[in-house]
Amino acid sequence: MTEEQPRESVIVEKELPLGPVHPALLEPFRVRFFVNDEIVEDCEVILSMPHRGIERILEGLPVERALLITERVCGICSNSHAWNSVRVIEKGLNIEVPPRALFIRVIAQELQRIASHLIFIGHAMEVVGHETFAMRAFLLREEYMDMLYFIGGNRVHPAVPVIGGVRPRCEISDSLKRVILETLERSERKLRNYVGRVVADPLVMGRLTGVGYLSKEDAIRLHAVGPTARASGVEWDWRMEMFEYKPFTYDYVILYEGDNKARVIARALEIFECIKIVRQALKDLPEGPVVNRDWSPQRMKFTDSYNEAPRGELYHSYSLDDYGKLRHYKIRTPTITSIHSVEFAAKGDHVTDAVVTIASCDPCLACCNRVEIIDEKSGRRRQFTSMIEVIKKYGWRR
Amino acid sequence: MDLLAGVISVVVCLIGAGLAIAMGAVIPGIERKVQARIQQRIGPPILTPGFWSWLKFAYKWPIKPWATIPRFYESIIALGVVIVIFALLITLPPFWGVLGVASILGIAGLLKLEELIYVLAGSVSQSLLSVPFLRHDLAKGGTKLGFRREYFEQQAAFRALKMAAICSIPLYIALAVPFAVAKSPFIADVISIQNPAFFLGGILPLPSKPIFLTVPGFIATIVYFAGYVMLLNEKPFNIVKPKVDLIEGVFLEYAAKYRTYMYMLIHIFTFVLSSIFVTLFLGIPLDPTKPALLALHLALTLPLPVLKAVLAAFSPVLTFRQLYPASMGFTALAAFSLVLALIL
Amino acid sequence: MGLKATARKNAIHALLVYSGGCNGCDIEVVNAVFSPRYDIEQYRILLTWNPREADVLIVTGAITWAMKEPLQRIYELIPEPKAVLAVGSCAINGCVFRNLVGDIKHNPEVFAPLEKIIPVDIKVPGCPPRPEDIIMAAVKGVPKLMAAP
Repeated sequence: MTEEQPRESVIVEKELPLGPVHPALLEPFRVRFFVNDEIVEDCEVILSMPHRGIERILEGLPVERALLITERVCGICSNSHAWNSVRVIEKGLNIEVPPRALFIRVIAQELQRIASHLIFIGHAMEVVGHETFAMRAFLLREEYMDMLYFIGGNRVHPAVPVIGGVRPRCEISDSLKRVILETLERSERKLRNYVGRVVADPLVMGRLTGVGYLSKEDAIRLHAVGPTARASGVEWDWRMEMFEYKPFTYDYVILYEGDNKARVIARALEIFECIKIVRQALKDLPEGPVVNRDWSPQRMKFTDSYNEAPRGELYHSYSLDDYGKLRHYKIRTPTITSIHSVEFAAKGDHVTDAVVTIASCDPCLACCNRVEIIDEKSGRRRQFTSMIEVIKKYGWRR
Repeated sequence: MDLLAGVISVVVCLIGAGLAIAMGAVIPGIERKVQARIQQRIGPPILTPGFWSWLKFAYKWPIKPWATIPRFYESIIALGVVIVIFALLITLPPFWGVLGVASILGIAGLLKLEELIYVLAGSVSQSLLSVPFLRHDLAKGGTKLGFRREYFEQQAAFRALKMAAICSIPLYIALAVPFAVAKSPFIADVISIQNPAFFLGGILPLPSKPIFLTVPGFIATIVYFAGYVMLLNEKPFNIVKPKVDLIEGVFLEYAAKYRTYMYMLIHIFTFVLSSIFVTLFLGIPLDPTKPALLALHLALTLPLPVLKAVLAAFSPVLTFRQLYPASMGFTALAAFSLVLALIL
Repeated sequence: MGLKATARKNAIHALLVYSGGCNGCDIEVVNAVFSPRYDIEQYRILLTWNPREADVLIVTGAITWAMKEPLQRIYELIPEPKAVLAVGSCAINGCVFRNLVGDIKHNPEVFAPLEKIIPVDIKVPGCPPRPEDIIMAAVKGVPKLMAAP
């Protein structure tokens, strides 16, 4: 080695690995903490356990059927995946979507965003150790799951968007509109009460304040997205760019603290903005059809689409061949970019605090799984879609 | 006559041990129920977390634990149960005559031994769940290779040692307050200044001036409660076994009947510490020969676990960042009450 | 009924292993246990995270390549008698990840039917099953299995 590598000055005493079956992480991923006494000096998150080869099985499917699978990329933000995958083809083939359908999609998306943020708050409280707050969050979430159930017929995968509009079953009738408005009214009061109590609790806030600090520069450098970045002061939300959100007036929650407390509160405050959007959408719901069937699958150039999922920026892109079959489906989920920023932010804290920091980016590992191999000789990077492919090439590494 | 007295004292001790086991089987259910009602749900039946769980694990088929010294790891927990029951027995009247045993030294020594069980059990256990679970770790390209890889239990034992060193001090100082009031290291003297009627006989000898109602006694009670939660490693002081990083701490590998012993250790210890509190601070000893007093004693042992359950429902896990100041504060409070007790 | 069967019926510890599904079933199981609206604890089923303590293994998700071996090892850790609950279509037949749509060819990433890997006692279908379904399966099936031997 000719160049002198900069030596790291941290003293690592031992390694403490957690997971993949672990109560704090829930999903299968492994974290290796390198600790000195109780202080985390470095940490490594190992992903790739829930790799199901989704991009590969999507290859060559008829585009209508892709929805079945893209929705099942993730069970928490299923609507964002389904919506973003139809936005790609609508953008690429210029399919006109009726305005009523656009509004219903926004309603489903925002309801699911609230449910997702409540899961996050529940999970964060569970990781902090406060079971009562966690259970209250899950109790509050049930009302939103019920609303999704009324709209789509399934609690987790409501399957609202289809190409050219929404499923006719997901039409919002006047009675359903009234039910949703009443539930929102009731639930918002409870939520305000709940969030107020969480913020006022000195023990919980003592655990969260000042832990896992992520500065704005680091957030941008490490590509944090969504509420994780917005809690560090990055003023970016993909909803600013989306034409679906133009009719609504609401605020973006941007905090500047950058610690775990900010990441929890950013999501808690976003819930109320989501409720605002749902109210406006229900009030101004335009009349008319909900689906435009006037399109046919045909050749489409490589098109991409960005969406603001509950966890941040979501990217879908694909092209269609002459028969309307999917080619080169590519998904990039928010967690794959956010997880490295919290990996960085976890350094320098107690082990128990570091787990909270890792959980504070709301990791949703079901969606994100890529393997990147860098060839040291040529410096070429290649992304593999399949774990099997990697093993065939490089062998079963130990 | 001596033989008869000996037989009676043995019977009394057996009844005391039986009572400890019986209360230990019920108390976790009550705690769980209180916690569940705070969380707006129904919660498990009273006997499920305690009694039926013990029996169920006892009926499970034996399985070998992952430990460096499996037999030692298994036997240490049975020793722990014996220690905990013995800590209760030395507060029983038959032991009061034995020189130097029924004193603060006996209680504190046995409690300290119980804390060491955590360290000993943790240092030999090696759960599958932590290090050997996945082989991806040592793949080529891993961040830092070649460091000592720590199991959950070893980290927990490490933390248990810290807790035993720092966070149990408040309890021991608070324990010394009744003895300071009585100006004697023996339990018999502590009872006699609070409850002189006890030695005169009668159906229900009530204490005339319990230490709990004096100023140093009341401060010491608050500290004792904090120390009680610290010694039992319950929330918010459960850094030895927080679910979020160490899952269950040192007791991760106990299975089948050894898990019954582990549950007995924790549940009976909850009762024993509460019983010691009632004996020392309220002046109502656990005496199986006086049924009315016995019933009163058992009823008075319940508030402490219930308070503990309420505290656990409303608090997160505290890390050492918060634990050191908390422990220091409680130690200062306990020292203040001790000084008050010696002056007044 | 003897004391043994009564004890086994009255305290059941369940361990949740998430073997790479879409998170939906996982959240619904946690919901069934955790949410005060459902609260599985009132039916004497307690959630644990320690295989040594568990009686019932709840498996969700299509078993992925990396989770197959950990799943088998966890199954071996649980002391007898034990039962396995497969929750969700993924664990039962692979759902959309294993040739359910008809157009997908063989997907080598998932080892989908759980039965191929460990013996399964109870199956809860649905994508994802509602918490009510999970609770019904657990309440009706598990005590019978536990009391049987």
